Amino acid sequence: MFAVVLLLIVSAFTFWIFSALPSDPAALTCGKNCRPEVIEANRERLGYDKPLVEQYGAYMKGIFAGRTYGEEGASVHCPAPSLGYSYDRHECVTSLIASTLPVTASIALGAFVLWMAIGVGLGTLAALKRGRWQDRLATGFSVVGVSFPTFFLGLMFIMIFVIWTGILPFPRYTGITENPVDWFMALILPWFVLALISAATYVRMTRNGILEVMNEEFVRLGIAKGLPRKRLIVTYVMRAALVPIVTIAGLDFAFLLGGALVTESIFNLPGLGKLTLAAVVNSDLPILVATTMVAAVFIVIANAVVDVLYGYLDPRVRVK
Amino acid sequence: MTLLSVRDLNVTFGTPEGDVRAVQGVSFDIEPGETVAIVGESGSGKSVTANSLLRLNFGADVRISGEILLEGRDVLTMTEDEVRSVRGSDMAMIFQDPLTALNPFYTVGRQIGEAYAIHHPGATKKELREIALNSLEKVGIPEPLKRVDQYPHEFSGGMRQRIVIAMALVNNPKILIADEPTTALDVTVQAQILELIAEMQAQHGSAVILITHDLGVVAEITERVMVMYAGRVVESASVENTFAVPTHPYTRGLLKSVKSLDTARHERLEPIPGTPPSLIKLPSGCPFHPRCAFADSLGGRCSSEAPELRIVGSSRSACHLPDERLLGLMGGAS
Amino acid sequence: MKKRSKVLAVAALVGLVAGACGGSGDGAKSGEESGGRSATMDGVKDGGTLYVLTMQEGASTLDPQRVYTGAELGAWGSTFTRTLTTYKPVAGKDGTTLVPDMATDLGTASDDLKTWSFTMRDGIKWEDGSDVTCGDIAYGVSRTFAAEVTAGEGPMYALSYLDIPEGDSDFGSAYPGPWLATPEQQALFDEAVSCDGNTITFKLGVPVADFNYTVGLLAFAPVPKDQDTADQYGLKPFSNGPFKVESYEEGKELVLVRNENWSKDTDEVREPKVDKIVWQFGLDEAVIDERMLADAGDDKNAIVYGGILPENLQTVFGDDTLKDRRTDGFDGFVSYTMFNVESVSCVEVRQAVWLALDREALRTAAGGPFTGEFAKSFVAPLLAADYEPAKLVDGLNEDGTPNVEAAKAKLEEAKTKCPEVYAKATEDGLRFDHPDSDTWKKNIAIWIESLGAAGIKINDNPIEASKYYATINGDRGDLMRAGWAADWANASTVIPELFGEGGGFNYHNNEGDAAFADFQAKVDEAKAETDRAKQSKLWKELNQYVIDQVWSIPGSATKSQNLVGSNVRGAFQWLPFGWYNLGGVGLAG
Repeated sequence: MFAVVLLLIVSAFTFWIFSALPSDPAALTCGKNCRPEVIEANRERLGYDKPLVEQYGAYMKGIFAGRTYGEEGASVHCPAPSLGYSYDRHECVTSLIASTLPVTASIALGAFVLWMAIGVGLGTLAALKRGRWQDRLATGFSVVGVSFPTFFLGLMFIMIFVIWTGILPFPRYTGITENPVDWFMALILPWFVLALISAATYVRMTRNGILEVMNEEFVRLGIAKGLPRKRLIVTYVMRAALVPIVTIAGLDFAFLLGGALVTESIFNLPGLGKLTLAAVVNSDLPILVATTMVAAVFIVIANAVVDVLYGYLDPRVRVK
Repeated sequence: MTLLSVRDLNVTFGTPEGDVRAVQGVSFDIEPGETVAIVGESGSGKSVTANSLLRLNFGADVRISGEILLEGRDVLTMTEDEVRSVRGSDMAMIFQDPLTALNPFYTVGRQIGEAYAIHHPGATKKELREIALNSLEKVGIPEPLKRVDQYPHEFSGGMRQRIVIAMALVNNPKILIADEPTTALDVTVQAQILELIAEMQAQHGSAVILITHDLGVVAEITERVMVMYAGRVVESASVENTFAVPTHPYTRGLLKSVKSLDTARHERLEPIPGTPPSLIKLPSGCPFHPRCAFADSLGGRCSSEAPELRIVGSSRSACHLPDERLLGLMGGAS
Repeated sequence: MKKRSKVLAVAALVGLVAGACGGSGDGAKSGEESGGRSATMDGVKDGGTLYVLTMQEGASTLDPQRVYTGAELGAWGSTFTRTLTTYKPVAGKDGTTLVPDMATDLGTASDDLKTWSFTMRDGIKWEDGSDVTCGDIAYGVSRTFAAEVTAGEGPMYALSYLDIPEGDSDFGSAYPGPWLATPEQQALFDEAVSCDGNTITFKLGVPVADFNYTVGLLAFAPVPKDQDTADQYGLKPFSNGPFKVESYEEGKELVLVRNENWSKDTDEVREPKVDKIVWQFGLDEAVIDERMLADAGDDKNAIVYGGILPENLQTVFGDDTLKDRRTDGFDGFVSYTMFNVESVSCVEVRQAVWLALDREALRTAAGGPFTGEFAKSFVAPLLAADYEPAKLVDGLNEDGTPNVEAAKAKLEEAKTKCPEVYAKATEDGLRFDHPDSDTWKKNIAIWIESLGAAGIKINDNPIEASKYYATINGDRGDLMRAGWAADWANASTVIPELFGEGGGFNYHNNEGDAAFADFQAKVDEAKAETDRAKQSKLWKELNQYVIDQVWSIPGSATKSQNLVGSNVRGAFQWLPFGWYNLGGVGLAG
C-alpha cells in the first residue's frame, strides 16, 4: 500500500521535474525547416499547452486506458498501459520499454548471479583464509576491481576476447527465446565486466562481514557447543553475514534493472540504459519520464522485497 | 583419576607490538562435582585460561604449551574432531553476555536441540523438541511450550542466560565453565542465576569452573578459589581461607577494594594503587611488585626474583613475604 | 539543406578535446584520398553480408519524406527508395550526373519551366509485387505538406515550388496534407500534381530550371497509401528498390535484404552485389575504430557510418598499408557565419570582423586540418561544376590566422564612413547567436578573444540548440552561425537559398542592402538559365559577390575520413551525398 502511494508520488514528481526542464518538447518535434506555427500546432497536438495537472491526468489515464496520439487519420494509438508516445522514435513508449527491458533484465540477472557468486565466494574465502595468500589475492582483486572504470574494463574485454584473439564474436543481442546460445554469447562479456566490478565491493563487504560475525559471541558459543566448522560457517557465520549483503544487493540489482548504461553502450546492447541515454541526447521527454518511472518502480519494488526478505532473514525485524 | 588436571599452562599471543604472555605456568586440578572460582581483574588471564580448556583461543598467532588432561587425555594434543566431541559434551561453557551469546537467527528451541543433536547424531526432531522443552522447564522458563519457538530477542537478559545454561547442561557435561555468567545481568537477576547454576550442579553433579572478577559471586557458590594476576596464579585456597586469611598482598587488596558482603563491617574501601601491568612488558621479578605495599620491606628481592607458589598455612601463595606476615595480612582479624 | 548527422557533430566535439592535446604532430596530413582498391570492383563477388557500423542509435529516419541527411539520402535511395531521377553511382565528378531512375528520361519542361512531366518505366514493383503507380508518387509528395507527420524534417521544395496557394496550414499552405485535407483542399493538390497513366505532371508556381534534380530527392519518392502508417511509416518503409527493410530497431540494428520483386530490367542505375546489409547501431566510437583497424572476421566486410575518431586519424593516415581501405574527402558541407546585414550595415566592419577572426584557432578547436579546409566559397568543392575559389578580402591570411593590422585599418575606414555601426561594433558589441553546446562554448571564446584584439566587441548569445533555427527565424542577432550543403548538384540550392529573396535559409536581412537588387536580378537570371555552363558561371559570380559584400563569413569546407574492411569493394565517396553508394557496395573474397 505504502509502495503504491510512493509510486504515485514518484510519477508525479518525475512528471513535474521533466516538464520544468528548459527544453521544449514541442520544439523537438520539428525539423530545421520549422516555423513557430508548427511548434505551436505540435504543442497543442501533444497536449503540452494544457496545464501540468491535466497533462499528468491524461498520462495516468493513458496508463490504465491507453491513449491516442495525434489527430484523425494520422493518429497513433498506444494501448494500455500507455507510457506515452515518442515522436522521435515514432513508437509507443511502452513497446520501447517492452523491447529494451528484457535486454537489461538479461544483463542484470546474469551479472547479479555472477557477481554474487564471485563477490560472496571470494569474500568468504578471504575471510576464512585471513592473512593468507588467498586473502591477499581477494583483497587485491577488490581494490583493483573497484578502481577500474566499467568503460575501461569493457573496452579491454572487447580488445582481448573479440578483437585480438577472436575467442568471442562481437556481442549482438539475441533474445533468449530466439537463440539461447547467441543470447549467452552476447551477454557473457558484459556479465563478467559488471560482475567483476560490482563483485569487488562485495568481496570486501563479505570478508568484513564474516570477520565481524566470527568475533560475535554467539559464534564462539557455537564452537563451544561443538558445532562442526562447516556447519558453523554456513548456519551461523554466513547466515548472519549475508543479511546486510542481501539488502544492499537487492537495491543494487534494482538499480541495474533501471539500465546498465555504460555496459550497454560499450557492448552495444539495446537495453533500458541505452534507451535512456539516447533519450537524453535527443531530449526525448516521453521516454525519459517513462524510463525514470520504470527505474523508480524497480527501486520501490526492490525496497519492498528487501524489506520482506530482511524480515524473513532476520527474526529481530520481523513485524508481528 | 582427577577429572581435570592442568599442568604448567602457558598461553602467548603474538601481536605486532610483541608477545602477549596471557597465561604463565598455571596448574590446577578439578575433581568431579567440585566448584572452583578463578578470580582476577580483566587481563589477569582467567578467561584465557578458561578458553584454553576447550581450545577456544582464536587468533592468527596463539601459542599454547603445557597439559590439559581431561580424565587423562590431553586436550591440547587432541585432533580437531576430538576436541569438538569434548566441547559441549564433556565440558560446556556459559558466556558472559547472554544478549549476544545466542544466535539471533534461530529459535531457542532449535538452539538447545542443536546442542544436543551435535553429540547425539541419531536424535529425531521430536526427541530434540522434547529435550528442548524439558530443558527450558528445568531452568525455570515459564510457558516452555510457547517459548520454545521464540527467538532470543524475545527474552530478557536473565531468561537468556537461563537458556544458555539449559543449552550447556543438555549433554550432562562433567565440567561446566561459566565465564562471568552474571556480570552483564541486573543485580537481582545475578543471584537467581547463581542459584540456578548451583541447583543444576547439584542435579547433574558437574564440576563448575567459575570465572569472575567479583568476590561476592565467589562467596556464594564456590568451594575453592584461585586468584590470578598478570597471567599467573598468585593464591589458591578454600573459599573460607581466601576471605578470612588471604595469603597474598594482591588478594588482600582485592578484598579491601570491594564492599564486603558482611555489612556489619564498615571499613573504608581501599583501591589497589597503580594499574595492572602490560602483558607484553611484564615487570621483572614478582609482577605485582610495582603495586605491592610490602615490596620495599624485602629489599630488591621482589623486583628480581619471581616467587613460586608455595604452601602457606592451608593455602598456597606466590609471595616472598615470610609465612607469618602472609598469614597476618588482614591485620590479625582471623 | 541536408542535416548534418549527429555523428559528425559529436565527432567534432571529441575532436575538440583531441585538438587541444596538440594532435597536429607530424606524419599524416589531410589530403584527398579516394579509397584505393576498396573504391574499385576488383575481385568483387555476388552475395555476402555487408555490415555498417555506427555509433548512432538509429537512422535519423527511413521515411522518404522526412530524410534529409546526405549519407542517408544516398543510402536509402540506392537500396529501397527509388525516385524519378537520381545520380549516376560512380566515383569522381561523374557521380553528380543526373540520370533517369523510375522515369524514362530526365523529364520534359514546358510553360516557361513551370510545368514538368515525367513518364514512368513499366514494370516497377513494390516489395509485395504490386505496381508502383503514378498515384503512389503523387501521394508521397503530398505527405510533405502534413506538418503533423513530416514535421518539417525533410526538404520543403514541394511547398515552395508547387502551384498551390498559400493558406493557413501549419506550413502556410492551403493544402494541409493527405490526412487533414477536405476534398476541396485535396483538389488543390491533385491539380498541381496530376497523373495521366504513367505520366506524372507537376505544375509549379515559379519557373524552376532544374526541377528534375528536385524530384531526385527522396521527398519526391512514392509511398503506397495503403501501407502508410503516418508517423510510424519510417519504422517500416515499403521498398521499390533492390533491397527491402527486413527489420529495424533503433539502438540495435537495421537489416536490409534483397527485394525479390525488384527487377534489374526496370532499373538501369543500381547494381546490387551483396545479399544483405546489416546496420549495427549504437556502437562505441572507440570500439568501431579498433575493430576496423583489426580487420578481423565479419569486420572485413564492414563499412563505417560516422568517420574516424580524431585521435585515430594519425594512426590511420600514417600507415600506408591502409591506403586501400581509407578515404579522406569533403563531405559537402560548408560552415559559415551570417551577418545581420541590416544591423551591421557597413561592409568595412564586416570585413574587419573577418580579418580579425582567428579561423585557425577555430579549426584547431574542432580537431585540426582533418576536419576541413578554410572555405573560399559558399559552394562546397564537391559541387564541382559550380565551385570556384573566390577572391577573398584583401589582407586575409591564407593560414587562417588573424590579421589584426588589416582589421584595424578597416575599422578606421568605418569610423568615418559609418560611425554608428563602428560604435556598435567597438562599444556596444555585436550580438552573436549560436546553439548552446560545448563546442560552441569553446568557439565563442575564440571569437571574443580574437576580435577583441582588433577592438571589436562580441556579446555572447547562446540559444537552446533545439530552438535555434526557430528562434533566429524571429529574433536575429548581429552574427549567427550556420552550415549548409547543397540539396542537389546545382548551386541553385545554395546561393538563392542562403542569400536570395525568400530563400528558405536566408537570415541575413540583406534585402535592404544597396547591393541586393542587382544581386537578386542575377539570381533570378541564373535560376531560369537552362544552359548549365552559363548557369555555373553566374553562380560563381554571385558567390564572389556575396564574398565581396561579406554578407556571411565562409568558415570551413568540412571533410570526413573513413576506413572500410579489407573485403569491401565499390566503396567510393559518392559526391552528391558525401558517403558511399550503399546499394552498390560489394565484397571480395
